[in-house]
Amino acid sequence: MFKHILLPTDGSDLSLRAAKLGIELASTCGARVYVLHVVAPFHTISYVAEMLAATEAIYTQEATKHASQYVADVRRMAEAAGVECSTHYVTDDHPHEAIVRAAHEQHCDLVVMASHGWRGITRLLLGSEVHKVLLESEIPVLVCR
Amino acid sequence: MFKRILLPVDGSELSIRAVDTGIALAAALGAHVHALHVLPPFPAVTYFAAIAQANETMYVERAVASAERVLAEVQRRAEAAGVPCTGSHEIDNRPACAIAAAVSKHHCDVIVMATHGWRGIEKLLLGSVTQKTLLLADVPVLVCR
Repeated sequence: MFKHILLPTDGSDLSLRAAKLGIELASTCGARVYVLHVVAPFHTISYVAEMLAATEAIYTQEATKHASQYVADVRRMAEAAGVECSTHYVTDDHPHEAIVRAAHEQHCDLVVMASHGWRGITRLLLGSEVHKVLLESEIPVLVCR
Repeated sequence: MFKRILLPVDGSELSIRAVDTGIALAAALGAHVHALHVLPPFPAVTYFAAIAQANETMYVERAVASAERVLAEVQRRAEAAGVPCTGSHEIDNRPACAIAAAVSKHHCDVIVMATHGWRGIEKLLLGSVTQKTLLLADVPVLVCR
């Protein structure tokens, strides 16, 4: 069935839950997983206080640190389940584009992601990123609650 | 992993393609599939001449016959893959609600469905039934192209 599963993560609890399900599926199917975190680039105009206060260098350093933590969390889960795992993070303003691009470049055959991440509000709304991934992805997407 | 996969099917080509993905997944996981076809109830006001001319009994008879054809097609594909399959139809004019209800009724732990069915226009829009199912369902949804 599935051979290479893309697990986009934003570090939120929901995305970790989705990653866990993706890893379980990978372990049952004997698939590999590719973990991806998309870092928002530095903006001079921003609504995130952290970005305003920081200079670009500090922001990038912090963002990179977070990104490595997020993907390392998923890597630990994959290793515990005995699933082959590679982790990456990219900087992109549009996470859905980065996700669809990674799926294509890495020849993934499934994306497993949460119905919403940090920015999603409630179950009444589908996260904007997952919605865009559903529209643009060429491969099936497993949307988790 | 997943034990019972719900396959909502409206008989469109895309929904049959999603059925094939669902059956392949079931075969890989040793799961059972349940096909569900949702029929709209007999409308008192309609824009289909054939419906307006028919009486309700006739409409239900034909609708159920067409549901049986669709479900038999799924059954045939599941048998070919050696996957145990059951099927049912529901009469409801809100297919997403019927799908979400079927999840608990038939104890399914995942839904596999297409991005859109008969009514979906193109790649640019996510089908309304799929969109609502993503919001209503308590289980993960695998959305296929």
